Amino acid sequence: MGELEQLRQEAELLKKQIEEARKGVADTTLAELTSGIEVVGRVQMKTRRTLRGHLAKIYALHWSTDSRLMVSASQDGKLIVWDTYTTNKVNAIPLRSSWVMTCAYAPSGNFVACGGLDNMCSIYNLKTRDGNVKVSRELTAHSGYLSCCRFLNDNEIITSSGDTTCAVWDIETGTQKTVFMGHTGDCMSLAVSPDLNLFISGACDWSAKLWDLRDGNCRQTFIGHESDINAICFFPSGNAICTGSDDATCKLYDLRSDQELTSYSQESIICGITSISMSRSGRMILAGYDDFNCNIWDTLKAERIGECSSEPGHSDLIMEPLSILLFQVWTDCSLPPLLLSGVLAGHDNRVSCIGVNEDGMAAATGSWDSFLKIWN
Amino acid sequence: MSGTVCSSGAVTQAQRAVEQLRLEAATERIKISKAATELMLYCQENCRQDPLLSGVPASANPFKDKKTCILL
Repeated sequence: MGELEQLRQEAELLKKQIEEARKGVADTTLAELTSGIEVVGRVQMKTRRTLRGHLAKIYALHWSTDSRLMVSASQDGKLIVWDTYTTNKVNAIPLRSSWVMTCAYAPSGNFVACGGLDNMCSIYNLKTRDGNVKVSRELTAHSGYLSCCRFLNDNEIITSSGDTTCAVWDIETGTQKTVFMGHTGDCMSLAVSPDLNLFISGACDWSAKLWDLRDGNCRQTFIGHESDINAICFFPSGNAICTGSDDATCKLYDLRSDQELTSYSQESIICGITSISMSRSGRMILAGYDDFNCNIWDTLKAERIGECSSEPGHSDLIMEPLSILLFQVWTDCSLPPLLLSGVLAGHDNRVSCIGVNEDGMAAATGSWDSFLKIWN
Repeated sequence: MSGTVCSSGAVTQAQRAVEQLRLEAATERIKISKAATELMLYCQENCRQDPLLSGVPASANPFKDKKTCILL
């Protein structure tokens, strides 16, 4: 028998072993354990703020750890830092590449980062002496698009890429300290554990992987999804993870029992999940879908308990072109094309990104209709 | 001997896959009854600190709807 065939057989054997070991600890199900508790009452969240100013699809958002500022990235080629309490734009950062897919806020509040089809992760210093936001580093090494990035601290950032790898970078030197290889499909999303020792990635190989930042190893691989995993987040205790996939389901995996606990799906939901976040206690999952909605799930009972839906009617629709016009003039002194109304037409608000802030006070959604909304 | 030519690249990749699977197979796993119960407990212990879940009184909501100004 050739060596390759031998190795393939050994791999199959090990996979079966893992499956058996998982079954061995499956002494009950989440459904059984939660049979005695009530479903969370119907949740009705209202739009508290609408953040207007981007001119094209919003692809990503990330809250600052102060639960008030937030950065968003749009394919209009801008990063905007918002004060969500007042809706004021604190910074409007023009990007060298408009093909942005992700953005991140450093825990300190001193930096933001973004990247996308330029295959780079660009770091911006928000706290320069002269007050002008500047690119402080361009991290290049990935051979595919940057799908997600998250700061560990002011000098380290984790990236996930379409080249199937994730990496931790030393921002000062601009080099990759560790490269995490193992996925066999584009890495789409990542999330850092609360204790900062681990991170998880979701990929187009339909799996999620748990990585150890200290030794660079993949500790665990979670399977079960039947299509690309686009979104991933940690349960707040750090002991479980939640994924969202193109297979129209979200799943909860427990890290310590190394398997799927439950799936969040409904026959009527047939579109993919683009983004996912959990409420502060972990009891609710907020997931953004490829259609215009964001569904809220009871994590423990696996039932849908609500949605973030837009209020009908926009009383200040007439004012929007003017506010966008003024913003465009302010940011780059150019006059926008006359077809500004094209941006407002259709209100196709496909939710592309979602995030709950650290104090759990609000959820933010970003949409292809160029608006961001704050809900609670 | 089969006529298939195996590149060393494919063998190295397969070796890595097996090593990784060995590592993952050796993971210590705890029973779902214990793991899931702890998740439930965490939700319970933190439900009051979860504004989206338990609701936010308007007075404590930094995002409460802006009211229009009234001229007195």
